[in-house]
Amino acid sequence: MKLHNADKTCWNCPAIDLAGKVDFRACGQSVESFQKNLPEDSDVLIMAECKRRPELGLFDPMSITFEECPEWIESPYGYMLKDMRVMILGIDGYLGWTLALWLGSLGFQVSGIDNYARRMWLMEQGADTVVPIAMMPERLEVAKQVLGQEINFRRMDISARSQLREFIADVQPEAIVHYAECPSAPFSMIDAEHAIEVQRNNVLGTLGLLFIIRDTVPESALLKLGTMGEYGTPLTGRPIFEGMFPADAVLRWDNREWSLGGELTPRDPVSFYHVSKVQDTFNVYESCKYWWLRSYDIMQGVIYGVHTPQLAADPRLRTRLDIDEWFGTVINRFVAQAIVGIPLTIYGAGEQVRGFIGLRDAMQCMTRLIVSPPEPGQYGVVNQMSGYYSIRELAEKVARVGRREFGLDVKIQRVENPRVEADRHPFEPIFENLPKQFGFEPQVSPEDEIYRMFELLTQPHIRKRIQQMMYHIVPRTWWTGEHRRVKTIELIEPDQEVIGGDGHGAKPSKYTQPSPALTKE
Amino acid sequence: MPRTRMVIIGLDGMPFGLMHKFAQDGTMPNFGELVRHGTFRQMASSLPEISSVAWSSIITGKNPGEHGVFGFTDIAPGTYRLTFPNFRSLQAIPFWEREDAGRSIIINVPMTFPAREMNGVLIAGFVALDLERATWPPSLLPLLHKLDYRVDVDSQKAHQSLGLFLQDLAETLQARIAAYRHLWHHEEWDTFMLVFTGTDRLAHFLWDAYEDSQHRFHQDFVSHFQQIDQIIGEIASSLQPGDRLLMLSDHGFEKVKQNVFINFALQEHGFLSFEKNSRPSLRTITEDTQAFALDPGRIYLHLQNRFPRGGVKNNDKESLLRDLESLFRSLEFKGERVIKRIYRCEEIYYGDQTYRAPDLVLLSQAGYNLRGNMRPSTLFSQDIFTGKHSQEDAFLLIWGDAPPTTQKTITVSDIVPIMDQLRGG
Repeated sequence: MKLHNADKTCWNCPAIDLAGKVDFRACGQSVESFQKNLPEDSDVLIMAECKRRPELGLFDPMSITFEECPEWIESPYGYMLKDMRVMILGIDGYLGWTLALWLGSLGFQVSGIDNYARRMWLMEQGADTVVPIAMMPERLEVAKQVLGQEINFRRMDISARSQLREFIADVQPEAIVHYAECPSAPFSMIDAEHAIEVQRNNVLGTLGLLFIIRDTVPESALLKLGTMGEYGTPLTGRPIFEGMFPADAVLRWDNREWSLGGELTPRDPVSFYHVSKVQDTFNVYESCKYWWLRSYDIMQGVIYGVHTPQLAADPRLRTRLDIDEWFGTVINRFVAQAIVGIPLTIYGAGEQVRGFIGLRDAMQCMTRLIVSPPEPGQYGVVNQMSGYYSIRELAEKVARVGRREFGLDVKIQRVENPRVEADRHPFEPIFENLPKQFGFEPQVSPEDEIYRMFELLTQPHIRKRIQQMMYHIVPRTWWTGEHRRVKTIELIEPDQEVIGGDGHGAKPSKYTQPSPALTKE
Repeated sequence: MPRTRMVIIGLDGMPFGLMHKFAQDGTMPNFGELVRHGTFRQMASSLPEISSVAWSSIITGKNPGEHGVFGFTDIAPGTYRLTFPNFRSLQAIPFWEREDAGRSIIINVPMTFPAREMNGVLIAGFVALDLERATWPPSLLPLLHKLDYRVDVDSQKAHQSLGLFLQDLAETLQARIAAYRHLWHHEEWDTFMLVFTGTDRLAHFLWDAYEDSQHRFHQDFVSHFQQIDQIIGEIASSLQPGDRLLMLSDHGFEKVKQNVFINFALQEHGFLSFEKNSRPSLRTITEDTQAFALDPGRIYLHLQNRFPRGGVKNNDKESLLRDLESLFRSLEFKGERVIKRIYRCEEIYYGDQTYRAPDLVLLSQAGYNLRGNMRPSTLFSQDIFTGKHSQEDAFLLIWGDAPPTTQKTITVSDIVPIMDQLRGG
C-alpha cells in the first residue's frame, strides 16, 4: 500500500532551498517575490536546490517525490527524512518529553528548549506532578543510557529571542514542534496577573518565534499546538470544521449566497488561555501568508494517558502527570480521584462533550505530521482527536475500570460548574484530515489507557503523591473571579448500564493486558 | 610585442535589422560609426534560439552537443527531474578560463551563475539567484551593493505596470554602467566583456512599442538604446591602439503573432497524456506517452532506454519521428503554417553531450512563439509579451579589419575562433 506521503515532493521538503522563481516566458527573467496563486498554465517555475544533495543542482522541486528520493526512507508513519532534525519547544513538558523520546526512538535528531515554567507554575500553586520526574540533566542522561538517545537540550525561555535565534540557527531544525505554551484555562482565570502571564508567554512567545523562523529556517515546518477549545461549542450545532470551511460551505443571507470555502471558521474561545491560542492562530496564519512559512495548527482534543513504549522503558523516563485543578486534564484527574477516594467531579450537568486523544495516539499524529510537511505558505489545520465523549460518559468509564479491574469504590459527583460554558450543547466535530491525509489510525481506546493509568497511579509511591495533592484536585478557580471550592450538587452511583456507553471513538481492546514495564516500578 | 586586448560588447536579443536601422537613422550614432569602420553581419543563433544556449556557444565556441546546454530547462538523465542548467552544468570551458586567456573582466554574460574563481572579475548575468554567488572575486561585493547593482530587471514589475518596469530597467542599466566604468578604470585586463541584457527584456515586453512610433512607450524603447550607444561611444573612444572590439547579439527578435503550445498539439493527437487526477508535469506523464515538448520547441521521444516509464522502442523511433514531423508540419493558424523547419538531433548537434539532446528541434515561422508548457488549455494564445526570439538574425560587428571568412553564415559558435584570429593576427 502506498504510504500517505509518497507523492509529496521536494516542494514540501524542509531540506529544500527555494532558490528563486523564473519566468521562462520571457527568457528566464528572475522573479523577485514568491506568489501563491500562480495560474494553472503558468510558465513561472520554481528553482530549488537540495541542501542534502547539492549534486542535483537547480531543479523543479515538484519533480521529485518522497517515494523517489533516497533521503526519504520508509517508516511505520510514512516516508521519513533520514536523521530529520526536530526541535521541540517545551521539551520538559508532558507532551514535549514524550515526543522527544518517541521521535528519538525512530531515528530523528531531537533538540529542544524549556525554561521549566510548567514546574514553576505548579510550584507556585503548591502542586506538583504526581509521577515523579527528575530535572532535565538527569532525564537526558537516562535517555542516553537506557534508550541510547542524544537530545540536544538548552534551558531557555521562548521569549529570549536572541538566544533562541542563535540555537535555531545553530541546529537548523527541519521541523519545530511548539509546545512551549501555558496550557491551562483555569490558570489563566485565577486573576489579572495570571491571565496576563499566560497571554504574554503564549502570544508573544509564538509571535517572536515566527520572526525567528522567517529569518533563520523559513523552510522548516512549524507544528504548533492549538486546541479544540479554540472553536468553542457552537450552539447552532454547525459542524466544527478543521480550521477552515470546506469548499462547498455556503453563506446565505438576504436572498444572496457566498462561498465560504477556505475561510477561517469562527472561533469562540472559552477562557483567556483559549483566547491566547486563537490569537496564535491568527499570528501563524498571517505569517504563512506574508512570509510563506509552513505550518500545521494542531487543534488537539483533551489529552490523556501515561503510556508510550519509551516512557515505560524506565521509571526515570516517565513524563509528568498533573492532576491539580489547573493543569490536570479530565481523564487523568478522574483516575487520580478514583484512586484516593474522591468522587469524580463532573461540572454542572456533565453533559459537556469534548474531543479526546490518548497520549500514544497524539504521538502517532505528530510523527505523521512531521514527516508530511506543509507546503510553503500553507497554514494547515488538523483536529487531532480520536473520538468524542461526554464528561459523564468518561467518568463512568473510569469508574468501571477502577471498580472492576482494581477493586476501587468509585463514585461520581456533580459539582457546581466554575466555568462559563454550556453544559448541554450539540457537538459535531470533523476530524478527517489526520486519517484521510496522514494515514492516522487510532490505537488507543480510553478504556485501554485508563487501565494503564490505574496500573501506574496505584503504585504506592505515586498514590502517596496523589494523596499529598488531594487539596488541589477539586476546583476553586471560578471564571467569575471567585475563589472558593465548588460545592457538590449530587452524588451519583456509577450506572453500570451506561458504563462503556457508545461514545464516538476507539473501542477497548486490550486493557486487561498488564503493562510489562510496570514491574520495574 | 604587447598582447592584443579584446573588448566584446553584447546586446542580448538584438536583431541585425534593428541595429542596422538604429545605425542608419542616427538613433545610435556611435554604433553607426563603428559599422562604417568595420564588418557588420547577420549571424545565426543557436538551435533553439535561447539565450542560455546561445551564450554558452558564444563563450565556449562549442555546439550544444559539446557544451551540454540545450535550454533554460533540461531533464536529468534517466529521470523526470526538471533541472535548470547553470554555469556548473556547462561541459566546455569559457574562453576566459583557457590557459592563454590572460586577465578578463566579464560582466553580465548570461549562464555564468554561479561565478567561480578565475583570473579577473566575473559578475554573472541571468539567471542568477543572488548577487553574492554571482560575483567573483567576493571582495567586489561591497562596491556592487553600494552601486545598487542588480543582475536583472524584475519582470514582475512589467506585469503590474510597464511604467514601473521601465523605471526598474533604467535603474538596472545605470548600475551596470557604473560597475563597468569602475572596472574599466580600476582593473587591468586582456579581455573586457560587457553584455546589456535589458535589451532582451525590453523587447519581450515592448516590441510593439518599437514597431509603432505612436506607442506611448516608443520613446522609452529608443531611449534605452541611446543610453547604450553613449556607452559604446565611451568605450570606443578609450580604446588603445591595437585593441580589438567586437559587438554581437545572441539571437534576434520579432513580433509575436501567437503563442503555440506544442504539448497541447501532442495531447490532442494522442502522443502525450498525464496520469488522471494529477497536476500535469513531466513526473506525471503516462507510460503511453510517446513524446513531449520542453521550451521552446524541443521534442523528446519517450524512449524505453531513456526514461523510466518510457515505452517507445528504438525500432519504432523512425516511424514516430515521421508521425511527429507530419503533425508539426500540419500545424496552421488561419491558414498559415506555424513550423518553418524541423531539425533532427543528428542534423544540428554533435559532441559527447548529444545523448541529452532533444530528438527534434522545431523552428517556427516568423511570429509564432513556441512554448513547452505542460498545462496549456489551448493550442494558440496571446499574452502580455509582444516580442519573441528569432533564430537567423542575430548580429556581429567586428570593428576594424575582419578576418577573412568564406562562410556564408556565421553562427554563435564561431565567435571564439574569430576572437582567436583577431588576437593572433
